[in-house]
Amino acid sequence: MIVFKNVLKRYGGIKVLDGINLNIQTGEAVAIIGPSGSGKTTLIRTINGFVVPDSGVVSVNGDVVDYSNKKFLRNLRKKIGMIYQLFNLVERASALENVLSGCLGRHDNGMGLLFSTIGFFSKEEKELAMELLRFVGLEHKAFERVDRLSGGEKQRVAIARALMQKPDILLADEPIANLDPKTSKKIIELLLRINEEKKITLICVLHHLETVENNFKRIIALNRGKIIYDGFTSSLNRAELLAIYEESELCEAA
Amino acid sequence: MRSSIATDLPRRLNKFFWYVIISVIILYSFKISRVDVFSFISGFSYSWSLIKEMFPPNFSHFDKIIILTFETISIGFWGTVIGIIISFPLGLLSSRNLFQGLPYIISRGIINFLRAVPDIMFAMLFVIAFGLGPIPGILALSLSTVGLLGKFYSEAIESVDRKPVEALESTGSRKTGIIRYAIIPQVFPLFMGYNFYLLDHNIRVAMVLGLVGAGGLGLELYNEMRSFNYQRVSALLIIVCIVITLIDRISTKMSKDIIEGEFLSGKNKVINLFLISIIGLISVISLFFIPVDFQEIISGVPRIFEFITGLFPPNLSGIDRYLYLVIETVSMGITGTVIAIFLSIPLGVLSARNILHSRIVNSLSREIINFLRAMPELIFALIFVSAVGLGPFAGVLAIALHTVGFLGKFYAEAIENIDKKPVEAIESTGARFIQKVRYAVLPQIIPLFNSYNLYLLDRNIRASTVMGVVGAGGIGFELIMSMKVLDYQRTLTIILLILITIVIVDYISHYLRKRVV
Repeated sequence: MIVFKNVLKRYGGIKVLDGINLNIQTGEAVAIIGPSGSGKTTLIRTINGFVVPDSGVVSVNGDVVDYSNKKFLRNLRKKIGMIYQLFNLVERASALENVLSGCLGRHDNGMGLLFSTIGFFSKEEKELAMELLRFVGLEHKAFERVDRLSGGEKQRVAIARALMQKPDILLADEPIANLDPKTSKKIIELLLRINEEKKITLICVLHHLETVENNFKRIIALNRGKIIYDGFTSSLNRAELLAIYEESELCEAA
Repeated sequence: MRSSIATDLPRRLNKFFWYVIISVIILYSFKISRVDVFSFISGFSYSWSLIKEMFPPNFSHFDKIIILTFETISIGFWGTVIGIIISFPLGLLSSRNLFQGLPYIISRGIINFLRAVPDIMFAMLFVIAFGLGPIPGILALSLSTVGLLGKFYSEAIESVDRKPVEALESTGSRKTGIIRYAIIPQVFPLFMGYNFYLLDHNIRVAMVLGLVGAGGLGLELYNEMRSFNYQRVSALLIIVCIVITLIDRISTKMSKDIIEGEFLSGKNKVINLFLISIIGLISVISLFFIPVDFQEIISGVPRIFEFITGLFPPNLSGIDRYLYLVIETVSMGITGTVIAIFLSIPLGVLSARNILHSRIVNSLSREIINFLRAMPELIFALIFVSAVGLGPFAGVLAIALHTVGFLGKFYAEAIENIDKKPVEAIESTGARFIQKVRYAVLPQIIPLFNSYNLYLLDRNIRASTVMGVVGAGGIGFELIMSMKVLDYQRTLTIILLILITIVIVDYISHYLRKRVV
């Protein structure tokens, strides 16, 4: 369970998050939508501590996030997988090596740190990595260098890397913004399948209305750092959905 | 499941096999170039006593040093000017998109030959023909300039935009018109950039050519070194360092202006034209001081032909000894590069602005790197020969120091240009700092490092072929001796061995570099 209480964040003079109050239950699949610059990415980055709010409280699974405590942040991040718009993979390393790097958080001291730094992983971990690659449908490309993979394949590797953490929560920051529509659909389906089968909370920042409408039960719409809609997709009519975007565009035009 | 992991095994074995081979080669190279812990320890104490003997520097002959400095600059300048004049037609002729057939093949062949022969070998040849002094230096520099500049020019011409060329062709213009109005306007700024680069390069080389008698500060340095006047040597070295640093600064600024297209704009115009005219003025004035004995030059020309005809047939006796020296030369290059890699990693990391956020440390290590890159390695070699004695160890140290100047810069740039996105991704898994470096930074930079290291290895093996000129090991010593005792048939054998080695090393390094990135 993730709870936001009065979360506020400014960049310069602009309020990017303006008093966010929000509850996300364990196991939910939530889509966060909104126009560019509405604070979607900032919102999810406060969950794993890449953005520090100016005021307010974020708590994850009952623990208040302590942004100044490095060790707390590391322990928090171990349980939160993150995937990105530009995949954020090491292009020159193989798919398997990228996936394996997902379990580094578990080796953060003692011999584990030493061995993982040298480059050794246990047999179980290698097998888990292969299994995850098979789960995302890329077992045959495990030893391929990432820069030889297509965009959709790269995102699958990134998802496998996040799953390697054995996370409770999966944050996805515009995961399909750089993919073609057909691949996008498959990636969203994969994310939702992970949410359903592995009971991992999914929080997905999206730009495409169509994808949201068809797949997510709950959506949260942001505009200018404020939540302007939070509820079931089914109870949201199309006009309302369009208004979320149009309003901002009208404002920009003015 | 197990089978899929097992496919990893052959890769690992293959990797392991290569690591073993590379380690064995490196260990043998250290052994052959006689570099070990003890040589370092004794080398330190010898160097320290040399430094003590050098102080205080003796500037009593300051006026002479200044004249020699001007002479050196003017050797570099005139060598560059003559080189540019010859390179221009040769560069045009060796551009595949302008000329084909015999003119192309001949000019390309000349350029490649001039580039393959180390500049100091030309200097030795001309010193034999024309005697000691600046003239052999200027001639040698002209030839080596053609080797570099001819290639740069033809590459620039071959990559011009085809569209204006076709437009002129369609008007029925002759080739001269096309070159004048469609090609030269496109390549002119590039050519100017190359010319300044060569001027900078040649002034530094001019310091070195003196070591074989081709005039300038180098000759004086060599003479003072051999007569153990270490306080005068240190005075000369200080001047050399100042001149080299200044020239390096000026050329960095000018090439930056040229690349940005700001060479003659605004306040740059005044500064740049002033700097060029200063260098030009020094060079013109120095012309009056250069003793040009036309009698000597004319009588020297037959000596060149004597030399060339005297080369044949190559004398193959004692080739086993030369082969060993070739191995020693290659080992010196490898050892110097390996030592340089270890020295460059800390310096590169310290000068990368995105790792260490201290401007003082960043710029200090940058200054060290720039200085090491600007100083010619033969000058380092000359100093180390005095410090640690004749032999390959001095050459290895010289190569290592100069290489740090390149690798340190390349490493820092590679680190500064890494993709930050994977770093954040690894951080988001809860990993520690060292794990981020290991899994997000190193995998990005190691392939680049390998490529740079191979490039430098290639370059250093070439460089170690001439280390022997100052007695710093390798086959260069036999080369200069054979020329001094006029045993030209042996000279040819050695030159051929050097050229074959360079070609093989070049081929291997090219092949490996394509594989690592």
